[in-house]
Amino acid sequence: MKKEKFSYKYILISAGTILGLLLIWETATDVLRLIPAVALPSPVEVAKTLLLKMTDTAPDGATIPQHLATSLKVALSGYSIGVIVGVPLGIAMAWYPKFALFAQPLFDLIRPIPGIAWIPLMIIFFGIGLLSKAMVVFTAAFISCVVNSFWGIRQTRDVHLWVGQTFGAGNFQLLWNVAIPTALPMIFTGMRIALGVSWSGLVVAELLASTRGLGFMIQQCRGLYRPDVIIAGMIAIGFVGAVLSYLLSWVEKIFLKGRKES
Amino acid sequence: MTQYKNSTRVICGAIAITAFILLWYFGTSGTQLGNIMPGPVKVFRSFARSFVVPIGKYTMLGHAAWSFTRVIVGFSIASALGVVIGLGMGWSRVITAIFKPIIEIIRPIPAIAWIPLAILWFGLGETTKYFIIFLAGFFNVTLNAYHGATSVDQTLVGAARMLGTKNNRLFFAVVLPSSIPYIFAGMQIAITTSWATVVAAEMVRSSEGIGWLIISGMEINDTTRIFTGIVAVGILGFIFATIMREVENRVCRWSKKSDI
Repeated sequence: MKKEKFSYKYILISAGTILGLLLIWETATDVLRLIPAVALPSPVEVAKTLLLKMTDTAPDGATIPQHLATSLKVALSGYSIGVIVGVPLGIAMAWYPKFALFAQPLFDLIRPIPGIAWIPLMIIFFGIGLLSKAMVVFTAAFISCVVNSFWGIRQTRDVHLWVGQTFGAGNFQLLWNVAIPTALPMIFTGMRIALGVSWSGLVVAELLASTRGLGFMIQQCRGLYRPDVIIAGMIAIGFVGAVLSYLLSWVEKIFLKGRKES
Repeated sequence: MTQYKNSTRVICGAIAITAFILLWYFGTSGTQLGNIMPGPVKVFRSFARSFVVPIGKYTMLGHAAWSFTRVIVGFSIASALGVVIGLGMGWSRVITAIFKPIIEIIRPIPAIAWIPLAILWFGLGETTKYFIIFLAGFFNVTLNAYHGATSVDQTLVGAARMLGTKNNRLFFAVVLPSSIPYIFAGMQIAITTSWATVVAAEMVRSSEGIGWLIISGMEINDTTRIFTGIVAVGILGFIFATIMREVENRVCRWSKKSDI
């Protein structure tokens, strides 16, 4: 609420909370053995497994980097196609009202269906390989890209367009120089949402049917009662998701240099 | 920008959807594709039939009720806890310092990735699903409530303080009302995420609900059943979003937040 000057007190509290939680976790598992190790391994054990799994293929057949490479390949291919198709479609729908008249009702039909719901269909059509999962990721990314680009373009002020027209800009020039720059922050928001949805959609697809990937790893280790590997996998999934979204905000900053934070 | 009359829009929409259904119909009748993909008539008939003839243990309404209950339970807990913690974080920097790092550490992990661990912890029953849906909604609500509480107009706070408002009343009369639009925006996102998550959770492990309907179609290689499930997921998702938007419009009628 109040603007207070920067102080170390709050950083200490934050650090204390995390350390305290880790300590409680460690005490409850390794020291007092309140929780059986098949339900919750100690943080030390999880850290050990995380390090070990970087090079060890047991018990699920591949190391974490190998699983990660598979997951990333699928996620990034599906996601980039989703962005490449979704953003222009959203822009076109907002900019050409005649196109929107026909495209929007169709889009509204598929919009309420989460990308995840398509997984079984994609598996039947395309098998359990890269293609079916990339299609799921594509569907998930596509929808939020379209929605956000659409609303971004729609936010263009009429006054700006009128000024452009007065100075003799053509329709395409107006779109390229006025509407798209206005919409860029929204487009990036859409891409960021799409990234999160894609990443979790991919995990579901891997939980359901796959032979490699981080989702596959944690699903396998549930059957094997190896919660340490599950937690290590969850850490990897969360970490990579955070890194991806950080990279995207970095790109966003380059593109939107000199703009005020909304 | 150009606006068309409602009648033009309805007619064009109808043309587009009819064209799509015709394309689907002719694409699947008598062609190679028709062998693996059902036509629109078949899907519609199967959808209508599912209300009368049970699929698995329940009819369509039964499955919908299962999924609906799971979403409502998880979502309600997530919203209640999220609003309390989020507003608390906005109110006091000590609370922020305690919760913010924990939230930031756990948030990047998709709720769905908790499924295997949750099954080890809570078994295959309902608790697992409630827990997953709770996780799916909690962070959206919390961070939006937090954002709402921190972006209260400082002039209002100053004015209230100058007029002698005590902390307690300041919270309920100034901070809470101006956070409400943010909270609802968070709940709006949370309900959509929860709905996608319940479908995913049911696909991974369950024996009833819309997600199960879809995945069981895959297991017996029945694409018609999958399509029936997808149609149901779409309709229910649409209903959820509409209900939330209506509630938001009613509660936040005074707020001038532009509608997206």
